[in-house]
Formats: sequence, C-alpha cells, structure tokens
Amino acid sequence: MSRRRVVITGLGVFSGSGTNVPAFTAALLNGSCGIAPLDLFDVSQFPSRIGCQVKGYDPLDHFDRKTARKLSRADQFAVIAAGEALQESGVSGCYSPYEIGVSMGAGAAGMFQAEQWLKSSLAGHEALPGLLRGLLPDATTTVLARTFGLAGYQGSVTTACSSSATAIGWGADLVATGRQKAVLAGGSDALSLLTFAGFNALRVVDAAPCSPFSLGRQGISLGEGAACLLLEAEEDALARGARIYGAILGYALAGEAWHMTAPEPSGVNAARVMREALLSAGVEAGRVGWVNAHGTGTPLNDVVESNAMKLVFGDHVANVPLVSTKAMTGHCLGAAGAVEALATVIALNQHIIPGTLNFRGRDPECDLDYCHDGPRPSGCDLAMSNSFAFGGNITSLVLSR
Amino acid sequence: MNFPLTDIVVTGFSAVTPAGNGLDPVLELIRSGRDALTPVPAEGAGGNAGRWGKALDFKATDFIPPLKARKLDRCSQFAVAAAGLALKDAGIGRDTLPPERIGIALGCGFGGVANSAEFLAGYFAAGVEGMSPMLFPNTVSNAAASNVSIEHGLKGPNVTQVQRFCSAEAAFMMACRFIIEGRADVMLTGGADDLMPLMISGFAAAGQLRRYAREFGEGSGLLVLERAAHAAERGAVVKGRPDSIRTVGLLLPGREAEGVDLLLDNTAQPSLVSVSGTASAIPAFMGRIDGIPALDTGRVLGSSLAMGGTAMAALLASLQPGQTGLHLAASPEGPYFAIRFSGGSPV
Repeated sequence: MSRRRVVITGLGVFSGSGTNVPAFTAALLNGSCGIAPLDLFDVSQFPSRIGCQVKGYDPLDHFDRKTARKLSRADQFAVIAAGEALQESGVSGCYSPYEIGVSMGAGAAGMFQAEQWLKSSLAGHEALPGLLRGLLPDATTTVLARTFGLAGYQGSVTTACSSSATAIGWGADLVATGRQKAVLAGGSDALSLLTFAGFNALRVVDAAPCSPFSLGRQGISLGEGAACLLLEAEEDALARGARIYGAILGYALAGEAWHMTAPEPSGVNAARVMREALLSAGVEAGRVGWVNAHGTGTPLNDVVESNAMKLVFGDHVANVPLVSTKAMTGHCLGAAGAVEALATVIALNQHIIPGTLNFRGRDPECDLDYCHDGPRPSGCDLAMSNSFAFGGNITSLVLSR
Repeated sequence: MNFPLTDIVVTGFSAVTPAGNGLDPVLELIRSGRDALTPVPAEGAGGNAGRWGKALDFKATDFIPPLKARKLDRCSQFAVAAAGLALKDAGIGRDTLPPERIGIALGCGFGGVANSAEFLAGYFAAGVEGMSPMLFPNTVSNAAASNVSIEHGLKGPNVTQVQRFCSAEAAFMMACRFIIEGRADVMLTGGADDLMPLMISGFAAAGQLRRYAREFGEGSGLLVLERAAHAAERGAVVKGRPDSIRTVGLLLPGREAEGVDLLLDNTAQPSLVSVSGTASAIPAFMGRIDGIPALDTGRVLGSSLAMGGTAMAALLASLQPGQTGLHLAASPEGPYFAIRFSGGSPV
C-alpha cells in the first residue's frame, strides 16, 4: 500500500501557557514560563506548590451548565482545543463523518473530579455520580467524537507521558494508509491530586520552576492542557485549498523492558527509537534541525536523553539543539506529547528554535546545546519530538513545516 | 474503516480468567451453559449485591517469582501470567527472537484504578505521611503492558489502548499494523482488566450496572501474531488468522444503516460469531448474524473493557480449520469493531 504524505491543517491548544494558538505562540516566542503557584487544590502539604495550571478557568465561559456538568476538566480542555483545530482547518463538510477519526492520548484524564467522588465515598457521604463520568482515559475521545460528530475510528492511547505522541503517530498512519480521510489527533490531561501527590511521593518534583538540563535541577513541574492537530493527506488538503502548517513525516515507539520509573541509563533504547522514527520518515539524521526533548528536568532523564542524542547524531550532535518546552508548559503528562508536537510545529512555522527556560547553571553531564539563552532564529524545516513514559514507553515523532 | 489483512497468522493464545487458566475452562463453561460468576461481597462495594467474574483461584506466584509478584498490581499480574502462557503456546522462549522484534499492544480498561484508589485513600487518611510511593508507578493504565515487557523482555513496540468495551480490539488493530509495517516480527495483543469492590460501587453510582453490563469480570486474554512466513520459518503451529478488521466510531443518528454497512459487509456468513461488549444488545447487529452460533464470553466470565482479548482467543480456539468466525464488539457510545478470522493454517 502506498503511503500518502500526512499534513497538519488545523492546530488547537488550551493550556496553562496559552489558551489558544496565538497566545501559545506568543509565549513560545517570548520565552514566557507558565509555571506559578497552584490553587486548583490544596498543595500546602507538599514541598512543591507550583505548576502550570490553566488559571481562572470557568467552564461556563465555554459550555452551558448542563454540558459542563457532564464533562471532566480534561474533556473540557480537549473540546476547546479540538474546536479551535477543526474551526481553523475548515474541514467541516469536506468528508463523510465516517471518514474522520479521533486518536487521542490520555493520562490522569478525569481523575481531578473522580478523586472528589472517592474522598466523599470513603468518608461515607453521598457522592455525586457525575464526578466519575470522565474517570477512564478514553472518555475524551468519546466526547470529541460525539461533540463534533466524527464517526470514523475511535482510539485512546494510554501510555502515560508518551500517550499523545503515539496517538498522533498512529493517527497519521491511519491517514497515510488511506484508511481515514482525516484524523483529529492529540491529547488532553488535567492536574489532579493523584498525580501531584504521586510525583511528590516519588520526590521528583522541583520546588522551583523546572529547569531541564540545568545544574541542580530537582525534577518536574506539572502542567495541564490539551493540544489537537487535524491530520489529512496532502493531496486532499491541497485539493480543498486548506492551509498547511506542517507534516507528520514518521514516528516510532518501543518499550525499554527495563524499569517502571527509571530510564535505561545509556540512552541506547531512546536512540533506537529516534533512529527508527527517522527511518519511518525516510530522512537522514543530518536533516534534523533540533529536537524537542522529553526534557522533564529530572536528574536522570536529562542525562539519558543527552546520551541518546549523541548516539543518534554522533559528531554532528553539537549542531542539533535539544530543547525542552516543558520549562514553559510544565509536564502535561498524557497531553505532553501533543503539546510538544504543537509547540514544535509552531516553532518551525515561526522560524525559531524555542529556548529551554529557567537555566540555573551548566551541568557537566548535560553538555549539549539546549538553547538555555532563549529562543533563537532558525531556518531549519525539520525537527523531532521525543516522549518517554513510566513503564519505559518511548515515542519519537518526526515533524516538518 | 476497512483494514484487510492478508498475511498475519495467530500462533498462540492464552487466557487467565475466573474460569481458570487457559481457554479450555472457558470453552467448557460456554458449552455447559454454566458460568464462573460469584456473589460480589457487599463490603466495599457500596452494598451493591450482584455477581462478578472474579478470578478467585488465580495465584500470581504460580507464574511470577514472589518478590516480583508483590510489586505488581493485580492487572499486571494477570497480563504477565497470560503473556507467559501465550508465548509458551506459540513456542517463543526468551532467546527465540531478538527482543527488539517482539512487542505488545494491550487493551486495558480498569488498569491503574485500584492502585490509584489505594494511593489516594492513604493520602486522604493521613496526608503526605499516608502516601505510598510504591503504589504510584502502577497507577498508570500502561502498567500491565509495561510489566509484561519488563518480565518477558519485550523491547519492540509497546502500546496500551483504552476505548470503552473495545479496548482489546483497538489494541489488536495496532498490533496487526505494526507487523504489516515491519515494526515487529511478533506482537502480543489482547486485553487485561482487574476488579475491586470499590469499582462495583463506582459502576453502580454511575448507573453502569443498570444500563450496560450488570456483571463485570476480570482477567486477561492474549494472542500471538506474526507474519505467515515468519511463523513458517520458525516452524510454529498456525492456529488461525485474522482476515479483516472493520471499525466505526459512532452510529450517526439518521445514518445508522450506513455505519452498520461499513462494519458488516456482505461477504459469506461466518460459521461462528463471538459477541463482545454490548454487541448482543444492538438489534441492527444481531439481525445480521441471526441463526449463527454465538460465543458470549461475557455471559460466563463477566464483562470488562478489555474482554475482547479472551473473546477473540475463545473464538479462534473454537474454529475448525477452514471455518470462518466473526468477532463483533460494541460499546454503548461506540466504537464498534467487526473482526473476521479463519480457523487453522492457511495452507
């Protein structure tokens, strides 16, 4: 079966770093960090009390009361981001609804509401059953399909922090092989007590805004949001005169079979996945202008990812900046891969390489170019985006403008 | 969406279910008209009486060293045990293939929920002092697939899908595609789910027990997929093959017939049908398969989001060489899957 080139004809985002594409683009260009004190739930007991929250969010600004009650916070974010992507793409009415699929990545999903149910239930109080509606991570895909009447493929990838990168790669494959005319792909996740407390329990949350690849980094800053891409075959997009923002050239995924929470230290598995992604895209490593890192800011992750870069790019590695947009957006877990793919496409279109914010000093174990000095102009037209996850899941995307 | 398959075969399958280990106990229950459902203990389930498919006789340490078993959540234990059985059934040992060439695509609906609830309960009871860091890693839905990859050394593609009652079918489709693309030589695929009393309380609160599935179940059912030529090269016994996968996400109001037509084409009627999820409650589907013998694993084991793994394995185990089978899976709000299989070796 011949593969079709898959292009991006719609972008949408709703996150703590920008609640639409123009605002997110401005934050990326200006190097604005969205990480700040949290007020979504009580964080006073934790050493870290910050994150990249969608501040001042009122569902009634976006939904009627009845709809808002039915959707979890993560599902609401997804509907808003998907609405922007679909609106911008102008795809409505161009294909049969049965030819448009939804492929989303998810993480904690509706846990923010579900944990309120659990707390009441454990205390022996009557708990509102509606709080459980979005608990399972597939709810977002179902909600998007129903809200926008997309009747094609429905799937939710749930591989923790690599979920939405895989969902985008898989969605692109459904289009490339002609099985779907278009796929709405991306991810959504919301802050929750479970993930905030959990990462704090593992002592991998930085008390200050995360500083990927810096000396003295202590770990992640959590974030939340949704990002969606509308994917179509290039020939179809051109035929209907759609604006093209970029292309998904290829992807790869694997499990490390190493440890539930720690990456294999040499970076050999991450390097293998990056190479396979390039092979899938049909491009040489020398064409990659920069890499949007998984770049969590944990002491181990950043060294492993730097090692993987050296294995993939060899002597050329000094010319391939490894940047982490998580220092701007926080770690959006199930949505991280999608938020970062979107940031990568925007940066390619804006002819910049984003900066890695919150620099604290040079770490001798992280000895590559991380754009710690801020965003810089770039003429490159191709970049990669890496996502690693609990369980050893690794996904790498190859994107172009 | 139509996904024809021409070159993939099934060389192994397994199940760990409330009926016991392997497919034989499941098929025996179906034949006898009995079931493996037992009363839900009222305590912890919000007083919701009823039955569930609880794998009461499952002993993780029969499959996993005790120290390791203790670190795994119950869903991971099911998946690790079923993976070992399926790989053995396919004649694949630790050194049979390069680990990078074997992957897993797993449907997992309830995975992570039990650990999430336990972790949060500790926090609600005692604040930060009540948090157990050991519980948190297995709160993610992909814990089962990841633990399978760690315990069995699978370094190929690794993915977990959750999509309502069609979680295993969504994973199955990805597994087939990864083999076609050459991302892996062998893919383990299917589903795993666990149950705890609190979940029954949640299902009841959310109205699930009234509307969709009165009796839930747990366990894992897995299949081993590879290319026919790859299976032949290593002398594997072929147990059947998938012929096509069709799926639609929604049956659009006013255009339901179009959706059903996309799902169920007019090719020859199968010898046997497996109904999974809520397929048996959809008249438009059942009308198309009227009179064809049907396997309903949910009736004997209880329903779960990833029950399709066991249902597909049971269908294949029931097909005689040359017979064709149809696996029909549905969720109340979509999606819907129709997967056609042939029994025996494609000579």
